[in-house]
Amino acid sequence: MKLSDFIKDRLPAYAIYAAGGVILLIFAIAMRIPTIMCVIAAVVLLLAAVCAELWEYSRKRRFYATLLTNIDELDRKYLIAETAEPPAFYEGKLLYEILRETDKSMCENVAEHRRENASFREFIEMWVHEVKLPVASLQLILHNNEDGAFVRSKALEQLRRIDSYTDTVLYYARSENSEKDYLIAETPLKNTVKETVIKHRDDLTAHDVGIDTDIPEITVMTDGKWLGYILGQLISNSLKYFSDTREPEIHISAADEQDCVKLCFCDNGIGIPAADLPRIFDKSFTGENGRTSAKSTGMGLYIVKNLCEKLGHRIEVSSEFGVYTEFIITFAKNDYYKP
Amino acid sequence: MNKIMIVEDDAVLCSELAKLLENSGYTAVGIEDFRNALDEMISANADLVLLDINLPDINGEQLLQEYRKHCGTPVIMLTSRSSGLDEVISLSYGADDYITKPYDPAILLLRISAVLKRSGKAVSAHNYRNAEVNTAKGSIKLDEREQILTKNEMIIFRLMLDRQGEIVTRDMLMTALWDNEEFVNDNALSVNISRLRGKLAELGFEDAIETRKKQGYVLK
Repeated sequence: MKLSDFIKDRLPAYAIYAAGGVILLIFAIAMRIPTIMCVIAAVVLLLAAVCAELWEYSRKRRFYATLLTNIDELDRKYLIAETAEPPAFYEGKLLYEILRETDKSMCENVAEHRRENASFREFIEMWVHEVKLPVASLQLILHNNEDGAFVRSKALEQLRRIDSYTDTVLYYARSENSEKDYLIAETPLKNTVKETVIKHRDDLTAHDVGIDTDIPEITVMTDGKWLGYILGQLISNSLKYFSDTREPEIHISAADEQDCVKLCFCDNGIGIPAADLPRIFDKSFTGENGRTSAKSTGMGLYIVKNLCEKLGHRIEVSSEFGVYTEFIITFAKNDYYKP
Repeated sequence: MNKIMIVEDDAVLCSELAKLLENSGYTAVGIEDFRNALDEMISANADLVLLDINLPDINGEQLLQEYRKHCGTPVIMLTSRSSGLDEVISLSYGADDYITKPYDPAILLLRISAVLKRSGKAVSAHNYRNAEVNTAKGSIKLDEREQILTKNEMIIFRLMLDRQGEIVTRDMLMTALWDNEEFVNDNALSVNISRLRGKLAELGFEDAIETRKKQGYVLK
């Protein structure tokens, strides 16, 4: 709040005062009041007016100035009324009351949405767990049913797709918030990679992918389930984009470095155009490859990136279009995690 | 013949699991009344228990805790929940393994036999007919003749030997190989089996591995 702006705002009031003064002066001259008296009266009134205005300015300034700095610094601006002191002047009180009301209703609104969101998320998680039951049953029914091997393997493939889509929903719901769902512990890297590869065995053999792993016996600080999901996404991603002219290959290796462990996931697929490379982790980004293959939703890698960030890992990608794609996940060796 | 108790409230899933286990040479029993789940579990006197976490009336983890007070039978937890916390809780209550739904049947069978082996309930043969099997050396020895098996051939032979006389599916063989980080494909499996046949024939066991069409193989 600037003094000049305050004065500009008060100009009409000053004009009225001035008009009043002029009228008084005309009366004083008409009634032949001595000039000295007029001067004294004018000076006293002027001084009184200036003092009153300055006082008015200073108390308003205090209130509004705090309000303005607070709103600048606040992260959630709708909480501004919570930070203000109730002012001593009338307009201020009105404003303060209005702000508080707005605030309260906003907070209630936000809380309601948050509750709705949380219960929706809970419902989704529960639903995913429920849907896994019939998927598990169907898988066993198909497995136990010996005849019709062709239909069976087709049906199993579709079931696996359903399963992986429901997993995507689950991990998306989890990656967006809640810290409670993962548990960082020492995880044997070799084992997690092996289990993930076995889980995708049918897909991998169906595409006749040559897999080769080279992972030393080391542990990393991560959540095994989440890492399994991340690797699974990378595998299904590779499966979507293999080249027709080469024998598909996936190479998974790990390197134990001084302050980190690097897990490299490399395939000899069609690669990613350089222009798309910086954006492949963006939500809903499908890019050139996604347009040519209809299976892309642009969510898989976004969730992967998100999960990696939650777990504190770094994920990088490098690729040469038409030659290879490589993802590198870096696990920090941080003693902070360890008990 | 090992007896496996299935504690799972979904009737379809339970009966399919029982079928799977019976096809693989186990005896399977289910729970009749979940209000007496604990008593039934104890009186069944099984060699291994498959325990679901989401059960009516009682939580599988609590049930496990109660069960552990009575007997030390190995328990594998089955669940559709997959947070790390559940796994830690289950393992700290004394579960031997933990598998999330939907499970690959071959993996489930592998885990079961691994747990049984660890608990010493399964007998692992060291002899095939009158030949001596040395897993560490990777060889089969009959009198003075010795055949060296490759890692893959040994994995295949061991799996068949542990289930001698029963059908071993290609799926199970593949899973076992992949579980040992030998990510072979279908053709490679066939090649490995025919080489193994050749090596067994050298020792005089010409008809050792019989092919059952569309089912798998039987080691006789």
